Amino acid sequence: MRAFSYERPETLADALALLAANGRDARPLVGGTDLIIRLRDGTARPRIVVDLKRIPELRPGIETTTDLLTIGATTAMTDIAAHALVRQRFLALAEAAAVVGSVQIRNRASLGGNICNASPAADTATPLLIYEAVVIVAGPGGTRRIPIRDFFIRSGETALRPEDLALSIELPIPGHRTGSVHLRRTRRRGHDLASVTMSCLVDDRGITRLAFGSVGPRPILVEETTGVLADPGATDGAKAALLETIFSSATPSQGSMRASPEYRLAMLRVLGRRAVAIAIDRLAQP
Amino acid sequence: MNDDVQRLPISVTVNGDERVLEVAVHHTLLDVLRDDLALTGSKECCLVGECGACTVILDGRTVDACLVLAVEADGTSLTTIEGLASEGRLSPLQAAFLDHGGVQCGFCIPGQVVSAHALLQDNPHPTRADVDEGIAGNLCRCGCYEQITEAILRTAEASGR
Amino acid sequence: MNDRVGGSPRRVGGYGRVTGEQEYVADIAAPDALHVKLVTLDCARARIVSIDTTDAERIPGVKFVMTPAYLPTPIPRFGPQFEDRPILAVGETRYHGEPVAAVAAETKDAAESAARLVKVEYEALPAVVTLAAALVDGAPLVQGPEVRPGDPLSTTNVLREHRVGWGEPEALEADKADLVIENVYDFPMVTQFAIEPHAFMAAPDGDGIVVWSTIQHPNWLQRVLSRILGLPLSKVRVLSPDPGGAFGGKQHAKYEPLVAMMALRAGRPVRLVLTLEETFQAVRRAAATIRVRTGFHSDGTFVFQDIAADYLIGAYADIADRVVGKGSYPGCGSYRVPAARILARSVLSHTTPSTAFRGFGAPQVNWAVESNIDAGAVALGIDPLELRLRNLARRGDPFIPFDTPADGDWEQAARRAAELIGWGTPLMPGRGRGIAFGIKSGPTTGLSYSTVRLLADGSVVVYAGTSDMGQGARTVLAQIAADELGAPLEWVTVVMGDTAVVPYDQQTSASRSTVLMGNSVLHACREIQARLQSMAARLYGVEESTIVVERGIVRVADLEVPIPDVLVRGLGRLGGELIGIGEMRKEADPEHPLGGSAAFFEFNCTAIEAEVDRETGDIAVIRHVTVSDVGKALNPLQVRMQDDGAAIMGLGHTLMEHYIYDDAGRIRNLGAIDYRIPTSMDLPLELVSDMIENEDGPGPYGSKGMSEGALIPVAAAVAAAVRDATGVVIRDLPLTPERVWAALRDRP
Repeated sequence: MRAFSYERPETLADALALLAANGRDARPLVGGTDLIIRLRDGTARPRIVVDLKRIPELRPGIETTTDLLTIGATTAMTDIAAHALVRQRFLALAEAAAVVGSVQIRNRASLGGNICNASPAADTATPLLIYEAVVIVAGPGGTRRIPIRDFFIRSGETALRPEDLALSIELPIPGHRTGSVHLRRTRRRGHDLASVTMSCLVDDRGITRLAFGSVGPRPILVEETTGVLADPGATDGAKAALLETIFSSATPSQGSMRASPEYRLAMLRVLGRRAVAIAIDRLAQP
Repeated sequence: MNDDVQRLPISVTVNGDERVLEVAVHHTLLDVLRDDLALTGSKECCLVGECGACTVILDGRTVDACLVLAVEADGTSLTTIEGLASEGRLSPLQAAFLDHGGVQCGFCIPGQVVSAHALLQDNPHPTRADVDEGIAGNLCRCGCYEQITEAILRTAEASGR
Repeated sequence: MNDRVGGSPRRVGGYGRVTGEQEYVADIAAPDALHVKLVTLDCARARIVSIDTTDAERIPGVKFVMTPAYLPTPIPRFGPQFEDRPILAVGETRYHGEPVAAVAAETKDAAESAARLVKVEYEALPAVVTLAAALVDGAPLVQGPEVRPGDPLSTTNVLREHRVGWGEPEALEADKADLVIENVYDFPMVTQFAIEPHAFMAAPDGDGIVVWSTIQHPNWLQRVLSRILGLPLSKVRVLSPDPGGAFGGKQHAKYEPLVAMMALRAGRPVRLVLTLEETFQAVRRAAATIRVRTGFHSDGTFVFQDIAADYLIGAYADIADRVVGKGSYPGCGSYRVPAARILARSVLSHTTPSTAFRGFGAPQVNWAVESNIDAGAVALGIDPLELRLRNLARRGDPFIPFDTPADGDWEQAARRAAELIGWGTPLMPGRGRGIAFGIKSGPTTGLSYSTVRLLADGSVVVYAGTSDMGQGARTVLAQIAADELGAPLEWVTVVMGDTAVVPYDQQTSASRSTVLMGNSVLHACREIQARLQSMAARLYGVEESTIVVERGIVRVADLEVPIPDVLVRGLGRLGGELIGIGEMRKEADPEHPLGGSAAFFEFNCTAIEAEVDRETGDIAVIRHVTVSDVGKALNPLQVRMQDDGAAIMGLGHTLMEHYIYDDAGRIRNLGAIDYRIPTSMDLPLELVSDMIENEDGPGPYGSKGMSEGALIPVAAAVAAAVRDATGVVIRDLPLTPERVWAALRDRP
């Protein structure tokens, strides 16, 4: 691995100052499960690595109020997947966190890292989209809120500037009943990078949100409000027509060795259909 | 070039012993375990967190030591494969690996045993599915998964009732 | 726990493996060793214009950069079949990852930094990475004609052609058969992926050299180094600690000659530990395209097999051409085939040199021929198991006319597998079953020496040059010696992997060690038993001929005396020990197409029940049954472990594994992220390994070699199950979800 320098700021202000001073030459480090691979293979060559794990404002953890669940950006996948309220109200997120890599990876990989890498295949991106999460960001000008649907720009790029840090992710606790699910396609059953990710939420008002990834430069959220998708009694044909429209925005890249565009597009439809059905089932469960 | 290398002191508890040492900040925990501490039980294979041959327990949780910088381990407590047998006596889990045929070439085994150890600490009575999932991050090319799973389940049974 | 032969004691050497104490090559403490890093190019084939090491050598800690300029001219070349592989690329690189230089430095960091700073000026050249590109007229030649003077093929990329056949040529004509099925099948490039990457170390040792390697064949390596370095064998010591998995990929020399040259130049130890990515670039299995024409009578019996197999080997021959010849040779399978024509070609390409890999060329042809048999069964409306049984060779049948006759009751294995899979019983919807037979020719030549010392207290030291890379040879050899000499297993030490101490063994390959080294150790024990017989005769004052020594006991008339009792009294006050020398030969036969007949055959029947998700193409293996004919399981648990492991490895190339190359000849899925192998989550829901034991093998107590057989028929059995479940036939591996999905989409 190429040499770099390492800083472990103890305050948020120090961390932000380091990022502001170094710009793109600095890389924040939390779990390291992506960054250290890239440091080794040379696709990331920062001059300075800024370890965020000693900053009080960035301690991992999940906090809840009556209408909000807040996940610290440094919280590990293991903790998200196991959290009772996440499992109860945000099951698709728990399911997504539970399939990010192996146990060893999930013990280390953070939610902030997973979304800030902005991989189109990031598993936690699509559940955050269906739950309308908000990313709380600290920067030189203070703290600001970025709705998750505005967060992902393209592969490897988010709405964050190099001098920003994601502090936490807020999920509004729905005021009504929902059913949700996260599905994915991989090349084997054991841990693997997804070639399609799909999260779906339906609620008791008939609204369906579908978010899907790995079929374009960024994960996409589509909301369907006619009530047809969420209707257990609607015909397959009616749903299929709606799904066709929803998935028309997918533009999988040529030349991936994980799956062809044709396969990704076909699986988008399969996973979409299955996800809607599971979400409806879950909504119906007491 | 060496002048450019930043080194920092770290203090880490390894298998119960407090160790204070200076590490290059770009060296991984695996580098330091193997090269600086001569704890070669943790193995080097994929270096991308896929194979689990370097699995160690860091503050109670398994990690791939190849994906942790040594400086990040400052102030933590580590258990490596070398810390599981005491005074030459195998742990029940290690013994079960041998009794149920969980070991062939052995190269992945330190990682398998460490993952299994952590799994049983978190979940003393795992199901077969829990075990399959719990060791999925530890590749065994000899294909000894059936026997490894058997060893873990039997260890859980023997300790439980 | 029964320690005796036929029992399954704890693995000998197991303690160190579960505690982390086992020392693999990369673990050996060598504080004064220099670290080596290879310098490679970012393309497969290039003309090297110049190598500038100035910047690299300025890095503090760098001792030197080895380039061809520091090697003898012409550069030494080596290889088990053709001495074609240079120590470093000269003039031209031929595959992605071929080293053009190597840095030696005090630290790994310095070696890596310097390797990046070695400036290689080069011109990328067109590379051939597929069979089609290698065989087209005017294709760039991977190796120039000068490498093979006088060979008419030397102006092509065909390294060799192997032809085997029997019956009259006219018998292969289509009108001789009621049904002819002809198809083309593809088998991808896959890699061994031993979890231990290859590692090498070398150090000057007085007037000689000592070399540590993860190699399977230390004695082969010793010969290679002796020739290249101009040293007598006695001055080349090869230490080969138990490899961390090998699967054939560690059979022959790779970078040991380079490391040895660097150690001599440095005057101190040097060590090279490959990354996993570098092992992908160093070893793989040959890809193959196989055209099969099978002629059937209407009752399902074979009229002929006509097989043309092109194997895509790499840039240097390594052992690949032998793989092609030996792997294709039993291509007609375990059947009585009246007429056969097999043409197999090894085709050079600008890719990683392919080498031995579990199954040694047989899985490729088996995939094609067994799948074609399945196609014939479907076309004839005959049950695929029944069709196979109608053709299966029975014991003693000269099924390959000029070779060892069928040496097992193979029908028994097939029927056991069928019973265990529930062949013919109703299936749940969406599921299907498939069955396939596999056969592999065992070693054709062999030479294994061993030494056994029965020490004064009755404990035993066995010296055997086999490598225990996980298959468990150390345990089985210890069990044989313990059993024969009446010692507890924990009193037996097996010394391996040191050419200065351990007598010659040809190699650890072809599932030979239980048979060849096992017999050798058995013979050594028998020598000791003969000495014990004399001792006992002397001690008891009886005729030697009245005394029997067997399985740890000395029988004197009605007395059963434990061996140590006779030994201690017989050795007397000076003590000492008894020494036995074992020798087991399998002689060559120059007339035989393979240079020797099979010492035994490995027969396996694999039966699969699978479920296919028609929407996604996912294959779920519900039940995987594998039954091998092993003669006698000296250690039944280890037999099961080897068969399970072979089955799972077979599922790897069947379902997910393959190299993906780009146009520049680079492996795109280099490393563990995008080259997928089975995890604990990818197992069949049920994996059932069983074995047939008729004590009819040539090894100790009737054993046969095993451990490759269970891999061979996996692909064909799974594909047949997919066909049974869906009606879709796929002739390319791996059967990825996408490929299955596409086949279902495109079905007529």
